[in-house]
Amino acid sequence: MSPTLTTTIAFTADHVTKDYPGHTALDDVTLEIPSGHVVGLIGRNGAGKTTLLQIAAGLVLPTAGTCHTLGRRSDLLDAPELTRLGLVMQEARFIEWMTVAQHLEFTASFYPRWDRDLQHRLVAELEVSPKQKIAQLSTGDRQKVAILLGVCHHPALLLLDEPMSSLDPIVRKRMLAVLLERLREDGCTVVISSHLLDDVEKIVDWIVALEAGRIVENSAFDDLQESFAEWTVTAPDGRPLPAFAAPFILAQQRSERLARLTVRTREPGAAENFAAAHAVEVQARRLNLDEMFPLLLTRNPAAR
Amino acid sequence: MAPLLVINPHNGVPAYRQIMDQIKLQIATGVLPAGTEMTSTRGLSAELTLNPMTISKAYSLLEHEGVLERRRGQTLVVRERPAGHAETSRLAHLRQHLTEAAAVANQLGIPHPQALKLFRETLDSSKPCPPP
Repeated sequence: MSPTLTTTIAFTADHVTKDYPGHTALDDVTLEIPSGHVVGLIGRNGAGKTTLLQIAAGLVLPTAGTCHTLGRRSDLLDAPELTRLGLVMQEARFIEWMTVAQHLEFTASFYPRWDRDLQHRLVAELEVSPKQKIAQLSTGDRQKVAILLGVCHHPALLLLDEPMSSLDPIVRKRMLAVLLERLREDGCTVVISSHLLDDVEKIVDWIVALEAGRIVENSAFDDLQESFAEWTVTAPDGRPLPAFAAPFILAQQRSERLARLTVRTREPGAAENFAAAHAVEVQARRLNLDEMFPLLLTRNPAAR
Repeated sequence: MAPLLVINPHNGVPAYRQIMDQIKLQIATGVLPAGTEMTSTRGLSAELTLNPMTISKAYSLLEHEGVLERRRGQTLVVRERPAGHAETSRLAHLRQHLTEAAAVANQLGIPHPQALKLFRETLDSSKPCPPP
């Protein structure tokens, strides 16, 4: 590996737009992914996640704007960068008539850093049968092979598009362990798009949310967890509660004596201060990624 | 030494916080005595299937707070604390739980003497604390 390729930024997008006939998949996206992070790319179907990953991998070029992957502009990507990329795309394309073993052999031939020991271990851990023909694999087994082909060359940047949607919970857990192992051993950067927020939540340290081709959130996951909360508000004396208004209140549901506020604030003691200011009791509960998801997609500039 | 940590990635509390709280609790209850070597960042990441960044964030914050210290360059160990410190942190931990209970009591409009009586009864009916 040439030292000139080392970079502390794994991927950058600078005002990137991608138009397809009839629709805009990415709309003026500016993003920087520092090395060593595990980024959860989340958003609804059609939000632009796959397009962003394809652009990062150099599979498609942006209509406007520039991208750099592993320090190289995406329209100039060549073997030194491409052999350090790991790609697991949603609908992986294989050479269908090959057996799994043949395909591994074939793919390995492109990569100087292919690790056979790792390959054999992962074949066993993910319970892949090397003698089976690709064409005969189940959807889940195809995903496992795609993952094998994506990680055995110690990629510096691993791009995963819905890599686990067809795997059972046991294999998904092993997959997460495999990803974390690559992270520890190779110090690679991982960008993972998934609807399985439960899984994403276990390994990501950064969240990028896309909505209709635009970035609506780009934050450390810890920060998100520490700023979103649900407050259950009651008046100790039983008086009816008013409608509350504050810039950090994203939503509220109220009955006569109880209000549930969804808030976003990092101010220390926000709940206590709110309780004191309104003479109410506040019980705060943190939100998980599943609960945050719809809130992240409705941009609320006042809350930032 | 591998602390037996149970991290729930779905309860909304950042995993690094859960690790910190549980290690502090284990120290307060004597499960992790002073001088205990902590599992390495890599080791704990493998054990808990968590991002190594999460582990190192928890460890470095614990180091910053003086709960852990680095010895011989790398190994993180539980720091020796002055006598009485363990009790203070045990009480701090209990206070956390009681703060929640107090909020519930107030929300339900339970008068304080009645709430205190209930806490005393609950204490008495659970396993008795060994005499100091």
